[in-house]
Amino acid sequence: MKKSLAGVIVAGAFLATLATGCSSKTTAEQMKQLDDLKAEISSLQRDISAKESEKAALIKAIADKDAQLSQCEKDKALAQERLQGM
Amino acid sequence: MKVLNRLMLVAALVLFVSVIAAAQEMTKEEWQKQISDYTARRDDLKNKLNALQADVDQLKKDDAAKAEALQKCNDELMALVGGEAASVKAFEAMLDQIDAKLNELSRLSDQELWARRAELDAVQQMLDGVKKNKLSALPKYYDRVKEEQNRLDALRRSLESAEVSMTYTVGTWAKDRDCLWNIAKKPKIYDNAFLWPKIWQGNRDQIKNPDVIHPGQKLTIPPKADLTNEDKSAVRSYWRKKQAAEAPPAAPPKK
Repeated sequence: MKKSLAGVIVAGAFLATLATGCSSKTTAEQMKQLDDLKAEISSLQRDISAKESEKAALIKAIADKDAQLSQCEKDKALAQERLQGM
Repeated sequence: MKVLNRLMLVAALVLFVSVIAAAQEMTKEEWQKQISDYTARRDDLKNKLNALQADVDQLKKDDAAKAEALQKCNDELMALVGGEAASVKAFEAMLDQIDAKLNELSRLSDQELWARRAELDAVQQMLDGVKKNKLSALPKYYDRVKEEQNRLDALRRSLESAEVSMTYTVGTWAKDRDCLWNIAKKPKIYDNAFLWPKIWQGNRDQIKNPDVIHPGQKLTIPPKADLTNEDKSAVRSYWRKKQAAEAPPAAPPKK
């Protein structure tokens, strides 16, 4: 009884090995390649985030300058008017 | 035999566990799929980053152009009013001076302001000078000059109302019992009769003799304060003359 049980276990392990051993596995080098790619993607995402912030800041700066320019033109017109009255 | 069976059992178990572990590692097909997916994703992100960089470069150029246009506008504005750095600085210093003076005068009581009323004219002269400067046409200075003028006008108005309380029109003796002593004693004047010399000294052009005031005379009431040395000296001189005038004439020498 015990002999047959041991035999069954050994046969089962052998069959399982056969089943899983048929397909090939990735090498350590290939796994590193995958990890490097993931790291590159993370880095690109950070760069994009930073670039989007920079873009938003520039858009705001340009809007501010537009407002200042508009005010400056108004000031010029007002000053001209007042100088004529002086 | 028993030992051999046991050994075989252990070996089988070990083998079984390794097989399970091996089953969890990535297969080559799975790896290939992941590589393709991530590569595509990376390429998308690179394209996105490049597009963003192009946007940022363009925006930087636009920003520089705006800055230049703004500088040009400011330069034109200053040229319009003849403003150079040194003259702007001097102009602002003058405005600061006017502001400080008005702050000082605003803190005075009515009596103190009345005493320093000539300084309001001095401030007005400074303001008039500022208004003649072309820089005052600039909105930032125009509004400020206007505000200072308003403050000065407000001080003048308060001075006008103070003037009413800082002058006194003499009534009649019969009705008002007005003499310098009684006027100084009035609560709204000094509430202190002994300060009558201040009214006398403040109106020397009208009052030659402090015993003689006339109905209708408009007397300036100087701010309430202790008698000065000049006030006291005038009083002593007054009493000496009065005593001399009231002293009986000296008897002629007997022959």
